[in-house]
Amino acid sequence: MQACIQKEPKVTVNNLTKRFGNLLVLDNINFHVGNGEFLCIVGPTGCGKTTFLNLLSKLIPPTKGNICIDNVEADPKKHNISFVFQEPSCLPFRTVKENIAYGMQVKKFPKQLMEERLQKTMELVGLTDCADLYPSQISSSMEQRVAIARAFAVNPDLLLMDEPYGQLDVKLRYYLEDELIRIWEEFKTTVIFVTHNIEEAVYLAERILVLSNKPTTIKAEVKVDLPRPRKFTDPKFIEIRKHVTELIKWW
Amino acid sequence: MSKILEANPNTEVLEGARSSFSIKKILYNKYVLYVISICLFLIVLDLFAVLQVFGNFMPRPIEVLTTLINMTVTPLAGKTLPMHLWASLRRVLIAFAIAVFIGVPVGVLMGFSSVANAIISPIFHLFKPMPPIAWISLAILWLGIGEASKVFIIVIGAIVPCILNSYNGIRLVDESLKDALRMLGGNRRQEIIEVIFPASFPAIFAGLQISLSMAWTTVLAAELVGAREGMGFIIVMGMNLSKPSMIIAGMIVIALTAFMISMAVNYLERWVCPWKTELETTE
Repeated sequence: MQACIQKEPKVTVNNLTKRFGNLLVLDNINFHVGNGEFLCIVGPTGCGKTTFLNLLSKLIPPTKGNICIDNVEADPKKHNISFVFQEPSCLPFRTVKENIAYGMQVKKFPKQLMEERLQKTMELVGLTDCADLYPSQISSSMEQRVAIARAFAVNPDLLLMDEPYGQLDVKLRYYLEDELIRIWEEFKTTVIFVTHNIEEAVYLAERILVLSNKPTTIKAEVKVDLPRPRKFTDPKFIEIRKHVTELIKWW
Repeated sequence: MSKILEANPNTEVLEGARSSFSIKKILYNKYVLYVISICLFLIVLDLFAVLQVFGNFMPRPIEVLTTLINMTVTPLAGKTLPMHLWASLRRVLIAFAIAVFIGVPVGVLMGFSSVANAIISPIFHLFKPMPPIAWISLAILWLGIGEASKVFIIVIGAIVPCILNSYNGIRLVDESLKDALRMLGGNRRQEIIEVIFPASFPAIFAGLQISLSMAWTTVLAAELVGAREGMGFIIVMGMNLSKPSMIIAGMIVIALTAFMISMAVNYLERWVCPWKTELETTE
């Protein structure tokens, strides 16, 4: 199934299984993510997408199986895993600039490198003007951009995104998706992006994993090799979107 | 304002009102209304006094003012009004400091450790609903009639919000903030110092605010029983001497002091938690 990866695998997931009591949520999941790949994961509602991400981030332990980064068992202390949550999770008592820098401070980046990356990320997400504002003083979509900037700034081995744009209106989402692609192309980060929005997945991903209903397995893998910037009206785009929609149908 | 005017059919009339000097404009001014409100209140009071609704025991506002000035200059029981005020304030500040130094660490400990919480909370919840004033007799029996018993009662009143808000402040820190730090690879020490403490600070600070106003309320109750100085003493003296103007003057000073304390604390909060302030609108 993983035959079509050209990039060297960065993250390997082996036999990942999770049970909550008798409820089998994830059933024996295997896949790779290439170095610098943008992978989207879509699935029907309630298929355990969030559980899946929480396992990948090691916030909760798996029942069976493991996750390796660069062939070493993933460990938040050793590896650099970043997470963008559904809800913006900025520290309310730090300014925009301090929030973006915070990840790098925790990771003990050298001062000069930190300053450089800070400036660069703030420019990329267009937050330079509000660098000294507090999260309560900016809109929640801007807060989410701060969280995204913070996640990219630490140069993570793996960046996990859990429907970060789920709460936003369509127009703003398009804009932020373009912005996300711009940052990703600049930093060459390995990204796993979870969403229930098929159009979003096709627009962003290099590869899409379609999950099945519970107990969750990987139902299919769809490669998206459209050139960027992608167009929603492109016949090829629509074709892939329809294909993924067919795969996801559970009714 | 202009939007409302546009929607109004009587635009022309109002248009004139906007540019020129008019009675309507003055009447709608907030500060003019404040003054009207206070004047009306004073007039009603004066009427009550003149018509003797409460018999002889309702002073005219002007009498209250005279008493106020009198007390500021001439000593009552050896002390002028500012000295009495300071006596009360000193008790409040000492008791408040004690309440904060005991209450906040206890609350924080309860927030962090479920064991500590399980040990402390039954006792705390037993004592919490008891009004501090209920302790007056015991306090006097234990600590005598002096300063110690008064401070003790105020501490009892002021410590409750300190403990409660510190406990809840620590306990209710948004989990997503902790997750965000954990994801970045932060350790427990960083979580406590860099996330939990600053995030719970506004709640703890609100507790201190409530605690301070509790202390100010309780000091009067404590002083009503056997004090020889302080604002409560002035009120008792007013009653004993049948001088209602003295009582009301005392009440006014108490209210003004409470108001100034809360203003000062608000400024302090703006200074310690700058992230709580809203952006000032430039419009």
